[in-house]
Amino acid sequence: MNLKNKLTNGEFSVIAEMSTPKGVDISDLVTSARNLKSRVDAVVIPDMDNGVMHMSAIAGAALVRQQGIEPMIHVYGRDRNRMALQGDMLAAHVLGIPNLLVVQGEEMSLGDHQDAKLVDDLNERDILVMVDTLKKGSDLAGFELKGSPDFFAGCQVNPMTDDKDLDAEFNRAKEKVDAGAQFIIVPPVFDINSYTPILEKFKSLDVPVIATVFLLKNVGMARYISINDPGSRLTDALITRIRTAKDRETECIAVAGEMIQALGKVVHGVKISAMGWEDRLPAILDSAGI
Amino acid sequence: MITAEQKPIEEIIEYIAPYDRILLVGCNECVTVCAAGGRKEVGLLASALHLHSLKQGKTVDIKEITLERQCDPEYVEELVSLIDSADAILSMACGCGVQTIAGRYKDKPVYPAVNTKFMGASESQGIWAERCKGCGDCLLGVTGGVCPVARCSKQLMNGPCGGTSNGQCEISPDTDCAWRLIWERLKALGMEKRYIEVMVAKDWRPAGGGGPRRIVREDLT
Repeated sequence: MNLKNKLTNGEFSVIAEMSTPKGVDISDLVTSARNLKSRVDAVVIPDMDNGVMHMSAIAGAALVRQQGIEPMIHVYGRDRNRMALQGDMLAAHVLGIPNLLVVQGEEMSLGDHQDAKLVDDLNERDILVMVDTLKKGSDLAGFELKGSPDFFAGCQVNPMTDDKDLDAEFNRAKEKVDAGAQFIIVPPVFDINSYTPILEKFKSLDVPVIATVFLLKNVGMARYISINDPGSRLTDALITRIRTAKDRETECIAVAGEMIQALGKVVHGVKISAMGWEDRLPAILDSAGI
Repeated sequence: MITAEQKPIEEIIEYIAPYDRILLVGCNECVTVCAAGGRKEVGLLASALHLHSLKQGKTVDIKEITLERQCDPEYVEELVSLIDSADAILSMACGCGVQTIAGRYKDKPVYPAVNTKFMGASESQGIWAERCKGCGDCLLGVTGGVCPVARCSKQLMNGPCGGTSNGQCEISPDTDCAWRLIWERLKALGMEKRYIEVMVAKDWRPAGGGGPRRIVREDLT
């Protein structure tokens, strides 16, 4: 549990996000993971990212583990009931997956299998309680486990547009920490100045706070986020910076690297989302001096 | 109809404990038919709550009214003249009625006095059984008028599982195997061919997979 130890010791930690394939060609995932060996503290694998059917996160995490990197998987209740979730947690432990990120699943109607049946047996808080119960040696029905798993389990905060959202998310995060969340991952930060007070607020929950660094790939993506997600606090100045750069791709990587450096002074770690540009992750780390 | 059962009296007492003036509202529709929340049940619950409060040395003012339909804003409007004299509302309607009241009288706490159970039909005097899940894509036309979504414990779509025994479901000898019923109906109707037609995986979007459902009838709005 390298990530847990580092975060517990107050050392700045870096997590990279990588998706599993929609199919069985694992070459991109394995190559991207190999390129990050010894450079990040963990790789987080979303499960059915954005509601799109992919290879399961557990398999992706096992592959990442085989490349010598500590994995983390998303866990949520949309597609699995409490039996399936608990079985998967036991499987995750024996496959060497020590870190869990309990998230809210994407709406089924926004994914690529809109006709699927919703499960939603357990919510985020319930899942954290479930993990804690398994760690203590029994299942949710009260039966004793033959060997209990150990996990470093955290939770995620949703984007916040205004103070009302912030209060609601803060209260939800507090509930989740009370239920057993050992770290918090907050949404992408695009403007360190306006986001620092938010990060400081979440730090008051006394668990490590990890901020998301989202790799903007182009001006269009920056504009889209700025318009459609006011909670992103993405500034016009940042859009202009990317638009007027000689080499926009290099500039985007530099922006992400600078954000990692800036966040290093405020939070306990970062989670880098490259959104399909996982091959650029080493360049982002270079840019951040990591 | 929508069926319901009265909540345990202890739970109802706990809900209303902080209040001195209660407006107890029944409904003249489904919950009347299934004897859970009609005029008669309103009277019985009011008496039980009065007795309890007297035992506690407390006086609680309970006003009783039974609306024609609690799920209809038109009828819920009838509470306007009573609402100011109540600290809280106790509704004996299904969840639809409770929410219609809560949506109309936003500054009054509303508590349910019944548990809404299912959409069902009466099997015999005093017995109601689940018949419909409201899946939004009715299959009864191809299953001989017996619903596998509501009546098969596993919601199987292509025949019974291995748990069927002597025509009954493995969950209880009192529960008919829906696929036995479907087979018997199709056979009686000479529609055996329907039984072997394979149904593809069900589309659950009409069942609410895409979130809360609405019906908009442009001709009526």
